[in-house]
Amino acid sequence: MEKLGPFVRAAAPACAVLLIFVACLATLAGYSFRPRLGMAQMGSGFTLESYAAFFRDPFNLAYLWRSLWIATYTTAVVLVLGYVVAYHMTVCGPRMRLIITIILLVQFFTSYVIRTYAIVLALGRYGIVNNGLIALGVISVPAKLLFTEFAVAAGLVLVAVPFMVFPVYGSIAGISPNLRAAAGSLGATPAAVFREIVLPLSLPGVAAGVVIVYLFNLTAFITPSLLGGGHVDMIANLIFDRAMNTQDYPFASAAAMVSLLLTLIIVYLLQSGFRRTIRGAER
Amino acid sequence: MRRRDRHVAVSAASILIVALLCAPLIILFGVALNAGAQQVFPPRGISLRWFANVFSRSGFLDAIPFSLELAVLTTVVSLTIGTLAAIGIVRFRVPGRDLLLTALMSPLIVPQVVIGLSFLVTFTALGVHSSFAVILILHVTLALPFTVRVIVSSLARFNISIEEAARSLGAYPVKAFVTITLPAIRSGMLAASIFAFVASFENFTATAFLVWNRSTLPVEIFNYIQTENDPTGAAISALVVLTVAFAITISNRVIGLDALSHR
Repeated sequence: MEKLGPFVRAAAPACAVLLIFVACLATLAGYSFRPRLGMAQMGSGFTLESYAAFFRDPFNLAYLWRSLWIATYTTAVVLVLGYVVAYHMTVCGPRMRLIITIILLVQFFTSYVIRTYAIVLALGRYGIVNNGLIALGVISVPAKLLFTEFAVAAGLVLVAVPFMVFPVYGSIAGISPNLRAAAGSLGATPAAVFREIVLPLSLPGVAAGVVIVYLFNLTAFITPSLLGGGHVDMIANLIFDRAMNTQDYPFASAAAMVSLLLTLIIVYLLQSGFRRTIRGAER
Repeated sequence: MRRRDRHVAVSAASILIVALLCAPLIILFGVALNAGAQQVFPPRGISLRWFANVFSRSGFLDAIPFSLELAVLTTVVSLTIGTLAAIGIVRFRVPGRDLLLTALMSPLIVPQVVIGLSFLVTFTALGVHSSFAVILILHVTLALPFTVRVIVSSLARFNISIEEAARSLGAYPVKAFVTITLPAIRSGMLAASIFAFVASFENFTATAFLVWNRSTLPVEIFNYIQTENDPTGAAISALVVLTVAFAITISNRVIGLDALSHR
């Protein structure tokens, strides 16, 4: 193994960064088993009291269920919207494609705080949505849109669409045009071409997009904070509040460990589910 | 529906969705331009006073250079470390290189709150309360998956025999790499730099746990809009969006947008 030396030297700095990351996660895991004393203080020894406190209180479990439920349906909506845009990008002209790409990249590279705040401004009591609905005669007094689950869901959907469009567009654009043309010339209707060729071959992009968006929305923090205003708190809000306000590190660590495990299980289930579907589609 | 009609329907739906994505940002600019202190759209009277007000707030005046310093340093450090790791992964066929690549991607699947809290408890236990040092380590950790992934795919496409030819003609390995390979993968390097810069500059959730003595721009904007009720938050946000749009237009000219959107 003469190449092992140079490989180790090249990879060493990156491994050092990785080691810090793993050490931090290990510390977090350790803290979740320490006795709770409050105010950033902890006892020594091993206890499961933080986990027991987390799972015994129905309020804590409600954060978890709400996060799972909201993440599930927003991901489904993002998939539909993102797929439509991605498909359009593969059939429209180059000029339109450039415009859509620039708009999506601006969204992609702008902080979530800013994009979510922009949605807050649109949904406010005297925001453009309320004013528009009043002008159209749909409602007569401003509706309460902000600080509702609708606002949080709308924010999660709008913020996540670019994450879906890029991988799906990549996989549809990668399909050979000859394949689609050949199917068409053999008599397949456009709907059949889409169902039999485009949809199955775009599944790897869909899989990538769904995993990214689900993970992102499950542990969203900014969106429920700004658009939910404390009324639609999700699991990340609970963790942040217990860490920064009550400084109950063992409890926050236990809640974080539960979220981490849940995330890893969901990634595994989604990836193995998609892998099976993709293999089935290839047959 | 006939085929043409179906295409029209998809295009119309897609344009509507993209317009829906744009609308909040347009409202943001409108609100920032208000003459009065109300955050209304369309603006009542046009002025730039809220843009000027951004630069009279000490919170923003401290956070802007702090975020820029962090983003530049994160880019330099993660690009250097990431390029070295990518060379190791692409060039040396040793066992464990796939495992290393997977491990280096792992910060992407760990939730931001979990990463932020883990850094908070660890560095608190070590007695380190320097926002600069800890956030820099955090941002390098978060940027590394992007730089490694982009540079690995650039290096894998590069034909190594050109570099070997330079070496066989007497160039030292480092010189051959710097003068032959680096220029050939420059669009990948530039894309990696942009990803690293943005990963640092826009990060909020993990960073928000670590603002002991200084806070970054996204955290400062978040705190401002939670406590204040005038268009200053919209003004600083609009400035960031303008900068991003400008940077993307430049990137389109220099490397093409495919390098950024095809990952």
